[in-house]
Amino acid sequence: MPNLRDIKRRIRSVKNTGKITRAMQLVASSKMKRAQNAAIAARPYAQMLAEVLASIHRDEDCADACGINPFIAKREAITRGILILSTDKGLAGPLNSNMFRYIGTELKDEKVRFFAVGRKGSQFLARTARDLAASFSVSDRVPYKEVRPVVESLTQAYLSGEIDTIEVLYPRFINNLRQEVTLEPIAPIPSLDKLLELYKGRPDETAEPPIANDTREMIFEPDVKSILDEIIDLYIRRVVHQMMLEAQASEQSARMVAMKTATDNAKDLESRLTLKYNKARQSAITQELVEISAATMLAQQ
Amino acid sequence: MALLLEIVTPDRRVFCEKVEHVVLPSSTGEIDILPGHIPLLSMLVPGELRYSQDGKTSSMAIDKGFIQVRGDKVSILAEAAIDVSKIDLSAVDDARKAAQDALEEARLKGEDPAIIEELETKARFTVIQSLVKRH
Repeated sequence: MPNLRDIKRRIRSVKNTGKITRAMQLVASSKMKRAQNAAIAARPYAQMLAEVLASIHRDEDCADACGINPFIAKREAITRGILILSTDKGLAGPLNSNMFRYIGTELKDEKVRFFAVGRKGSQFLARTARDLAASFSVSDRVPYKEVRPVVESLTQAYLSGEIDTIEVLYPRFINNLRQEVTLEPIAPIPSLDKLLELYKGRPDETAEPPIANDTREMIFEPDVKSILDEIIDLYIRRVVHQMMLEAQASEQSARMVAMKTATDNAKDLESRLTLKYNKARQSAITQELVEISAATMLAQQ
Repeated sequence: MALLLEIVTPDRRVFCEKVEHVVLPSSTGEIDILPGHIPLLSMLVPGELRYSQDGKTSSMAIDKGFIQVRGDKVSILAEAAIDVSKIDLSAVDDARKAAQDALEEARLKGEDPAIIEELETKARFTVIQSLVKRH
């Protein structure tokens, strides 16, 4: 027969855990709303920046300027540079482990130098003895200024030839229940039309009207090179920032869902344990009654 | 014929409406864009942006960024933008003072360039706002 006191202790501990997970769920859901809004509000800017860059990229007169720009010129990818946007804290469901599985399967035989954002990512990379170049930490609100050191170390490594690509692995926010592990190339800048498709493919209620087809030659003021230098710098920073915002939205949603499941489980377990406790108590009482009546009968004889 | 003027900043889309023409501060001087303008990509400098809509002219204070004109659509990417009617001069003056003080302090302390640049942007935009408003 299960020990009454043990069951009681268990009920109490499950109850307490349930309280904690419930509190975490509430915190995550309020953070989630803010993170989602931030991610969605920043989309038009990143999208338009990509659009402007795409129009330079498409222009034939700019081929020369593009050819010499290190971020556009194609180069052989010997060492890939990948930035992982993971979380600092755990308890976010399968969010991080999905990314780590991706690294374990898709990037098994590649020569990769990793850059990590978030403690979980750097811990994983250190544990699996991968080439970790740098690790960063970004706070909940993802302020723009915290993006700069990350981007700077990436671009420096890229320009010095330490890495030959800049890619970002992050959980793209789709909706509250779905976050998709995405590996997005940043440099050398891939076909921007593809990138634009990606932005357009996202649900965006503030989607802008399409640009009318204009085939006339584009004028650049003051000149292509200076615009390109400025815009690429801004573009890389903004795109990474946007991805971080999305990763943040994903993290909070994943955590909220995970904590909701945990809270539900705790409630379920608690009611099952209570039932078990009551049954055990009942049978203990019955047992005692039997013993008492047996004893009285024995005394009467 | 009308132009579609779209202004976006890192935090949100500020403006997206049809206008008759728009005057912009570009790096090569002030430019006036009318419908049918040739495709153009230029740098935006901090200053005043004016547009007319139904015969009325409105203006906005705008920070640096990029201008793209393509097929009667003017896209503006700016660090910050605000409608002149929404500028509150006393608040702006306070903000400017605070921003400049913070900047001074950050420079003295030799803060991170990232923080200094952010403060510079803030201080610059407050100056533009008061200039445009007083104009």
